Amino acid sequence: MISGGIVWVLAVNLVIWTGLFLYLLRLESQVRQLENES
Amino acid sequence: MRHFWHWLLWLWIALAIAGAFLYAPLAKDFIGQSSRILFFHVPMAWGSFVAFMTAGVWSLLYLGKRQLDHDRAAQAAVEVGLLFCVLATVTGAMWARVMWGAWWNWDPRQTSIAFVLVFYAAYLVLRGAIEDPDLRARLAAAYAVFGLVVAPFLFFVLPRMATFTLHPDAVVNTRGKVDVDARMLQVLLVSALGFNVFFFWLHRLRWRLLRLEARRAAEGLTMMTEAQP
Repeated sequence: MISGGIVWVLAVNLVIWTGLFLYLLRLESQVRQLENES
Repeated sequence: MRHFWHWLLWLWIALAIAGAFLYAPLAKDFIGQSSRILFFHVPMAWGSFVAFMTAGVWSLLYLGKRQLDHDRAAQAAVEVGLLFCVLATVTGAMWARVMWGAWWNWDPRQTSIAFVLVFYAAYLVLRGAIEDPDLRARLAAAYAVFGLVVAPFLFFVLPRMATFTLHPDAVVNTRGKVDVDARMLQVLLVSALGFNVFFFWLHRLRWRLLRLEARRAAEGLTMMTEAQP
């Protein structure tokens, strides 16, 4: 039986990972743009 | 699709996170849910080791070819490796607080990871103390190559030399066997692979940023030289 608490911790972990991932994707695009400019 | 591999990594690590909380059973003799942190703590420690070895290899390449770009790759590896090492230390301390009642106990493994942190923090201090780029790269490379011996000793040899430790057996235990529940091992390996690939992504990003910084600095220097009468 999976407790509700664990599901919340899982959800928070996934939100943090997704947020970090999207930030890095944006950084990746910005770095590529700067590389093309110079 | 430009970001296919990135999204695959997102999915892979998301599955590792889900597996850590929903699929892997709780470890025997661990208090409450505390064993679940091991699916992040162990891959972080492994990731930091891979990072420090990567730094050593790039440093060897630098010493062989004297290209500053190789030095920048080594620097990026140490920086990201230190981040992973700090995360391994913090997650380990959180687990220790639950299991041993204190954040820090000077257990052999905690002591050896503290040495690792100091050793590689000193690498960055060394870099910060030298202005000449070639001298800085040369000394930093020699230091990181020395790390190829120091890091394996601190990660694998020193903790096993201790006669007493509270730390659970490593995945490959002192008898050279893997004594872990099959489902826990599956999640651990998925997580370790995901976080190691994640390390190489972060490393490449940081390396490219360092390259851009160097290019900007060189352009600034050229502009200053041209402006002089």
